[in-house]
Amino acid sequence: MAKEIKKPAKPDEPDLLPAMGLFTILIPMLLSMAAFSKLAIVQVNLPERSMINPNDETPPPDEQALNLSLAITSEYLVIGARGGFQPNVYFKEMWTFRCKSDAKLITHAVEDVKAVVESGHGPKCKDGSEMDKEKYLYEIEAIELWAIQKESEEDPGRVIWALYSNGGTPEEPVADSAYVDGNNNFLALPGEGAMGLTPPPALKKPAAGTALATLTPNSARTLKPDVAAKNLIYPLSAYDLIAKDLIAIHTQFIDLEDVDNIIIVANDDTQFDKIIQLMDRSKEAGFSKINLAKLGG
Amino acid sequence: MARRTRKYADDVPFSITSMMDMMTIILVFMIKNMDAEGQLLTQAENLILPVSTSKVQPTEVSLTVVIDKEYVVVDNEKVVPTPDVLAQEDLCVQPVLTTLYGKRKAEVDQHLRQGLPADEAGSVVVQIDKSIPYDAMYKVMATCGIAGVPSCTSSEGETGYEKMSGYTNVSFAVLEKNGGEE
Repeated sequence: MAKEIKKPAKPDEPDLLPAMGLFTILIPMLLSMAAFSKLAIVQVNLPERSMINPNDETPPPDEQALNLSLAITSEYLVIGARGGFQPNVYFKEMWTFRCKSDAKLITHAVEDVKAVVESGHGPKCKDGSEMDKEKYLYEIEAIELWAIQKESEEDPGRVIWALYSNGGTPEEPVADSAYVDGNNNFLALPGEGAMGLTPPPALKKPAAGTALATLTPNSARTLKPDVAAKNLIYPLSAYDLIAKDLIAIHTQFIDLEDVDNIIIVANDDTQFDKIIQLMDRSKEAGFSKINLAKLGG
Repeated sequence: MARRTRKYADDVPFSITSMMDMMTIILVFMIKNMDAEGQLLTQAENLILPVSTSKVQPTEVSLTVVIDKEYVVVDNEKVVPTPDVLAQEDLCVQPVLTTLYGKRKAEVDQHLRQGLPADEAGSVVVQIDKSIPYDAMYKVMATCGIAGVPSCTSSEGETGYEKMSGYTNVSFAVLEKNGGEE
């Protein structure tokens, strides 16, 4: 009988299905963990050790120098130079949160948030749910300083509303850059009602074709219809008011030797976010050498 | 002539090898990508960086100091609780200084071995939660600046490290603002 020749058996393929399952879980997990925000740095140069010897005598003040400082307290921002101060820019501090429950932004006054938390609750979201009262601080999306107009120290003041470009979407607008007119004035008016929290009806969104600018140099433009439609009326930021003054000061004293220097002075309890915002505005105005100091310290 | 029909095997196994290759490439790419972003990518839940208009990118991997609501962390090592930093009167934070001084000495030693100048200022990237009080930031920053000395009370450097400067090139890590005016 002829010997039966056995065909070599086809090697079995390994069962890859479990590995596939693992990969299918791993990839979405890694994607969800990935941070898509771009990181950057803000540089500060500290004085060398030899330069901060406490035994060194303080040099006499230079009368010709600008000696510009920008101070922030819990109520106002103020610019000081050559021993004098500009009028205080009062503000109302607002915290914007992104709720986990509906992914929508909510903005509350700091005092209201603190009062709610003290009563044992968390800040309220648009869908009626409450944020975690232990972790709400980690969900602050932005710390806003709404500029307020005051007639006297005792006056609670009224929120100033201004025209802003929209840095968000039509569904979720975000105030981006404040517009100024041909005379470099903000298109702004104090609000109505208690604390001026209602936008003033007299402040209208300009129509397409209006010539406007922002605080950015060479930003004059004619509003296009799509941009004009997206613009929004929003409380004027105290940072923008200060930025406008800083730009004016830098331009006016451009010939002085210390024109690029600014000292940011803050209270002990000022949040770090505010310092970064002030550093940003100072750099944008042309003050490249920023020093930090403590108020009253 | 009748058309010849091709016969197919009854049981054709579904091959997922090519799919596996693709998945492996994606996975390796993603892990590599996360690794390339370096230390700055690792953000804890209690560390929310502020948003800034700065577009300056960190050029090299520097020493990282993190200040969140709970701890001051130097190079992934918890050094001192943040409430303790806030509670102290002195500007110099001794536990932070001790750790930074050790790191600075190691850096200087490495520079000397490589024949590089040893008196150059050190660089540090400070990651601070956006709601941390200025007081904590100021104290840690001041401590970074004097990290060339071993103790808060000394004004002279140790023998062999007399000219060592502290971490005076301080960079605050921020999140770049998306969109807006260019």
